[in-house]
Amino acid sequence: MSTKRRRAAKLPKLKRRVFLPAAVGLAAAGISTLALLPQAGAAQSNNPSNLGNFGYTGSYIYGGTQNKAGGAISYKKLNPASIPYGKTLFLENCSTCHGALAQGTPRAPNLQGLGAATIDFWVSTGRMPLADPTVQAVQKPPRFSRSQTLAIDAYVSSLAPGGPAIPNVNLSLANLAQGESLFSTNCAACHTITGAGDALASGVFAPTLMVATATQAAEAVRTGPGNMPRFGPNTLTDQQVADIVKYVKYLQAPNDRGGIAIGHVGPVSEGFVGIIIGLGTIMLAGLWIGGRAK
Amino acid sequence: MITQTVDWFDERLGLAKFTRKSLNKIFPDHWSFMLGEIAMYSFIVLLFTGVFLTLFFVPSSKEIIYHGAYKPLDGHKVSEAYASTLNLSFSVRAGLVMRQMHHWAANIFIAAIVVHVCRIFFTGAFRKPREINWVIGTLLLILAIVNGFLGYSLPDDLISGTGIRIAFSILLSVPVVGSYLAFFLFGGNFPGNSIIPRFYALHILIIPALIAGLLGAHLAIMWHQKHTQFKGKGKSERNVVGVAMWPAYALQAGGFFFLTAAVIAILGGLVQINPIWLYGQYIPYKVSYAVQPDWYMGWLDGALRLMPSWEITGFGHMIPTIFFPAILLPGLTFTALALWPFIEKKITKDTAEHNLLDNPRDVPWRTSVGVGVLAFYVVLFFASSTDVLANSFQLSLNFVLWGFRILLFVVPPIAAYVAYRVASETGSTAGTGRRKRANVIFRTAEGAYYTEQTAPRSPQHPEESAEELPEEVEYHSLHGNGDQELVTSAAQPGPSGPAGSPSHSGVDLGPRPSGGSGIFRIPRVRRSSTPEAGGDQIGGIGDRG
Repeated sequence: MSTKRRRAAKLPKLKRRVFLPAAVGLAAAGISTLALLPQAGAAQSNNPSNLGNFGYTGSYIYGGTQNKAGGAISYKKLNPASIPYGKTLFLENCSTCHGALAQGTPRAPNLQGLGAATIDFWVSTGRMPLADPTVQAVQKPPRFSRSQTLAIDAYVSSLAPGGPAIPNVNLSLANLAQGESLFSTNCAACHTITGAGDALASGVFAPTLMVATATQAAEAVRTGPGNMPRFGPNTLTDQQVADIVKYVKYLQAPNDRGGIAIGHVGPVSEGFVGIIIGLGTIMLAGLWIGGRAK
Repeated sequence: MITQTVDWFDERLGLAKFTRKSLNKIFPDHWSFMLGEIAMYSFIVLLFTGVFLTLFFVPSSKEIIYHGAYKPLDGHKVSEAYASTLNLSFSVRAGLVMRQMHHWAANIFIAAIVVHVCRIFFTGAFRKPREINWVIGTLLLILAIVNGFLGYSLPDDLISGTGIRIAFSILLSVPVVGSYLAFFLFGGNFPGNSIIPRFYALHILIIPALIAGLLGAHLAIMWHQKHTQFKGKGKSERNVVGVAMWPAYALQAGGFFFLTAAVIAILGGLVQINPIWLYGQYIPYKVSYAVQPDWYMGWLDGALRLMPSWEITGFGHMIPTIFFPAILLPGLTFTALALWPFIEKKITKDTAEHNLLDNPRDVPWRTSVGVGVLAFYVVLFFASSTDVLANSFQLSLNFVLWGFRILLFVVPPIAAYVAYRVASETGSTAGTGRRKRANVIFRTAEGAYYTEQTAPRSPQHPEESAEELPEEVEYHSLHGNGDQELVTSAAQPGPSGPAGSPSHSGVDLGPRPSGGSGIFRIPRVRRSSTPEAGGDQIGGIGDRG
């Protein structure tokens, strides 16, 4: 509770007003998507071989990644020494649903071979552990510290090879304008063009991007959590992912000329301000200078 | 010198007579009569800011490579319209505040029209002889909404481009002639290159000219027919009780213009509206989720969202789903709105002239119909933000959608029933709408109690009783000396004044020596209450000759 409060205080006042409900909403709205999650997870676990299509063949666990020197995205090497600690954390917090070897149970999908990026996204955004498996997972303050999360990532990815590793995005090598173009083409259709997020059909929602870190945004693009499509290396290159991430980070603090940005949700909030504050104030002025009932 | 010049014009145009009559014109004073003024003043702000915007906006779909001040779009292929709007927002001095004021003023303009229409409707001000003005007002509302949509579309950004796409589809949905209509307006298939220049011509020239013309007619008819007034002491169907045009009403209205403009300027400077740089250039294959139109189109968007996907086929033609919410609904809405005075006349068989307003509680059935219909559109309006509501309240979008479908049919009857009950109950209660006076309980020395009603609450607003209109006074100023007599009589109030001229003590507003010739009225009467109490306003009674 106190963590949540401190996080909230860090956000600027207006953003807090908009994004706190959204963040709180994420927790609740996630509930609705989770109804679909077991199936989605099952689909993933049924076709681990598909992950080979990513071009990431070989082991990702111990840093066996294909780091291109100077690339906009480098892949994190996980520390094998943290595996025993990760195993302890996994057994305590995750194995009830996912099984001791992350092999999946009727309640939760198989995690073997999904790759470190998937595990890292779900745990670091606080979506796992899950409050309610019947609705879409919501972002909440993470249960684990960064090193604990990485230990869990290391343990789960040590169980089976496959899947993308955790990306580190070098934003200085990314192109913002290119990111805008890619974002509006690939992401805006659900997350809205301002990244504010919105409700989709049947309790599914596209979460706000205002709280995502660069790593989490890149992980989401590469792993496609929940209902989000997965954008593999044949769809978006590492450079393009980095461009998108740079634009997402830009949207979190955009060039907001023109005064108070009322939520970036477009004419809905503008209409309410125009009618209630604008016309309301003028009508009060009219009431002030005009005659009234005797 | 000035006198000579004025006389020169007066001898040729007879301006003095008209001016004097106009300056003496009586306007009833009530805050709700100022709602239409808000619309008019917003329109003036729209004209001024709009002229500024035309200096920098380029109405062209020609694609250029953007290399302006906004870096996230650097190197993008954009239309000249979009690039010039970016330029307005980032490089032109005061460009963004003008753009935002223009947009806020448009939102407030239409909101004020809607509130004004509600006031006219619920007080029965549309009845004979004001049906023409009601129809003109309906046309103004339609034109304002259309022009708002056109202006919203001009920047050619991702959100408004989606709106144009929807408009194109709506036109296509008209049976038989739909595709011709759409191709005629767009100069070919969507998106084409001609829609921005065409919308521009409509938005800055044709529709504003129509609005200005109709607004002039609206005001001229109001001027000619004289304003309605609420029932009250001394007010009748034959007179007008209120403040004179000069100075009281003119200064009040002028002040109100500046207040309106100030609120618009404050919003324009402090609250962001339509940040098109975050939306990006409109490209047909791109779309942003959660696209709403500006608020005044919200009811149409809501209707589109709520409409089930029914398609009706007959005579070899299929009527697409969107025809019903997007063409039929507004068609019926505005037709019924425009014809309401005549519909009501059919129902009430009332052919009398009405210059006194109804209080909404006096006519429960009309109030009830109005509230019910309004509730229908309010539900549609909120249905336009189903996605935002679902996201904000963590509900399923489908749940919200179905909720609105049900509310659309449940809320209006309930609202109408409640309005009817409230109107008829309050209407039948004695003293409704009057200021309540305190009852003070006194105790006598013997221990007996009695109550007494206090004086009216505010000495600033005494119960007024307007005096009867004085006789008309023949006034020949130009070469006669009647002017002199009048001024003299005004300066020396007393029983000896001509034609029982009322007292002008306090402010000398009498005719001036430089006036013209003709017949004019001196309708100014001080409120007949104590001089101190009524001293803050100059008012009087006019007649409805």
